[in-house]
Amino acid sequence: MYAIELKDVKKVYRVGNEDIYAVNGVSLKVKVGEFLCVMGASGSGKTTLLSLMGCLDKPTSGKVIVEGVDTSELGDRELTKIRRDKIGFVFQQYHLIPTLTAFENVELPMLLKGISKKERERRAMELLKIMGIDKAANRKPSELSGGMQQRVAIARALANNPKILLCDEPTGNLDTKSGEVVMNLIKQQNEKGVTVVLVTHDPDISKYADRVVRIRDGKLIGQESG
Amino acid sequence: MESSSDKRAGEIMYFQMAFRNLRRNGIRSSLAIIGIIIGVMAVASIGIFGANLKATVLSNFQNITNEVLIYPAYSAKLRHGIVTTSGVTYIDKRTAERIVRLPYVKDYAFVCSNFATVKYREGVFGATVYGMDEKSVKKLFSVEKGSIKLSGSCVVGYDLADRLNLRVGSRLEIKGKEFRVAGILKEAGARFDVNPNNAIIISLRDFDKTFNAKGYSFIVVWVRSLNDVQLFKDAVEKTINAKEKKVDVFELKIIISKINETFNFVSRFLMAIAGVSLLVAGVSILNVMLMSTIERTKEIGVMLAIGAYRSTILKLFLLEALILGIIGSVIGALLSLAGGYTVDMLILHSTKYLFSVTTVFYMLEGMFFGLLTTLLSGFYPAWKASRLEPLEALRYE
Ligand SMILES: Nc1ncnc2c1ncn2[C@@H]1O[C@H](COP(=O)(O)OP(=O)(O)OP(=O)(O)O)[C@@H](O)[C@H]1O
Ligand SMILES: [Mg+2]
Repeated sequence: MYAIELKDVKKVYRVGNEDIYAVNGVSLKVKVGEFLCVMGASGSGKTTLLSLMGCLDKPTSGKVIVEGVDTSELGDRELTKIRRDKIGFVFQQYHLIPTLTAFENVELPMLLKGISKKERERRAMELLKIMGIDKAANRKPSELSGGMQQRVAIARALANNPKILLCDEPTGNLDTKSGEVVMNLIKQQNEKGVTVVLVTHDPDISKYADRVVRIRDGKLIGQESG
Repeated sequence: MESSSDKRAGEIMYFQMAFRNLRRNGIRSSLAIIGIIIGVMAVASIGIFGANLKATVLSNFQNITNEVLIYPAYSAKLRHGIVTTSGVTYIDKRTAERIVRLPYVKDYAFVCSNFATVKYREGVFGATVYGMDEKSVKKLFSVEKGSIKLSGSCVVGYDLADRLNLRVGSRLEIKGKEFRVAGILKEAGARFDVNPNNAIIISLRDFDKTFNAKGYSFIVVWVRSLNDVQLFKDAVEKTINAKEKKVDVFELKIIISKINETFNFVSRFLMAIAGVSLLVAGVSILNVMLMSTIERTKEIGVMLAIGAYRSTILKLFLLEALILGIIGSVIGALLSLAGGYTVDMLILHSTKYLFSVTTVFYMLEGMFFGLLTTLLSGFYPAWKASRLEPLEALRYE
């Protein structure tokens, strides 16, 4: 079984009379525990591809199989459950909820799952400690640096113990140093067994990956080993 | 892992989120709340005032619900194209005695009435003259000056005394007979049986002598309870009216219910007009929530991405509307008490009916409509928020 398997996946956006193939026939297998890096220029389809892997969007055609489950068969609530329980997202813009503290942001996915307050608080504190930002637990995102916000976002992504972490340019808005901290934290999770798919246009990031694939105009280029 | 108590523990955090979102745009939320306050206040205040107005009017008809009036049967018939009246214009004494001995009768008063010219000093005027026994007069009316004594003397109504400058001791002449004014009655409210304000009341015996009456003009009967009204009516039909229709029974209960109906209708109508202000408040909530939905598109995308059901998003936004509604409705209902007080003071010059169950009822009703309005107008934006596509919402700039 693969963590994620894409079978000839296409995503077409219709703009006016024109069809835009954001993802154009991608087949890809991500092994359990693998750290995969998808490299591509701006507009090449990285975010779209990652969103399809994470069930944030449905492909126009093709199949997305997550942990052996064919997601094309699933309804809205089932897809939501997959996002909630099996997948963690890390975005370039952190996307923290501004009204919630760092701590509460980490609590949120667990709240959505219906986990008890006690367990939520234990787990949130544990994750903030792992990310080295437990001292900032009660601060709002606006009171945190970019690097710290991204670490809160990673903690939030890990809240429900997902097996898969999907990262969309996680260091894109960070300075080199904070970027390194964030990448090391992601790598650390990968070493603990979490499958990581990371998309970026930054070649330096590829050194953290087990495998690199390139995307251009919605298509994978180069060889696909494994 | 999931248990009901855990779910409830979770709800508190949803409430916190909703509260903070409302606080984020404090001024906008406050304006929406003020709209609801005004709407609820208008609706509830008018409801309260309407109820108090009704209570004030009905207080004039107190104790008549158990009252039944019995008139001689009087029917108009068409005979050969000419309207003729048949029957008699009085109830004969034997029939009257039979009526008041029927079951269910708690108390009664025989009443004779006629219109007569009355002489006072040099003047002559017309007035209604009632013949009643002393006990009944005492039961129905109270005296302002003098006392209620009817043997050879009379009592006069407040307005009549006022108009003619009558005093206790004044002497009136009715059909050649002289009556001393023994008492002047207090002003009485509107009644359906005896209207004493412009009348003279003498004893039944004096009435007989003066007008040569053969019976009574009508009988006032008080039954034991409201339920007995119908039973008494049935009894009259079966006994007194068995062979021929001798009397008509007229229940005052009906009048009360008509007054009730009319006032309720007017009250509802005014409340509906006041409801327009709630409608405006509803539109403002709709506006606030829609703006909030659009502004928070990205956040909604994030919530969906990390595993919120669409129903959870719907719930969160409805919760915000609900909080606005609860705050606005509660404050509005409390202020409606002040509103009701003011209108009562201005129009009724009295607030004695303000603190009653009906007031609480209208406060609750105002709150109900306030909440309903916020929920209804909060629903569309909440639904819109819950229908967003996660990726599109995340990409929204
Ligand atoms: N909703 C949409 N409607 C139309 N076109 C879209 C839509 N979303 C994405 N696209 C197009 O699809 C292509 C791929 O977009 P995508 O965001 O996946 O690229 P990306 O590699 O993530 O780019 P970036 O590095 O800028 O984030 C782009 O040409 C983009 O304009
Ligand atoms: Mg992108």
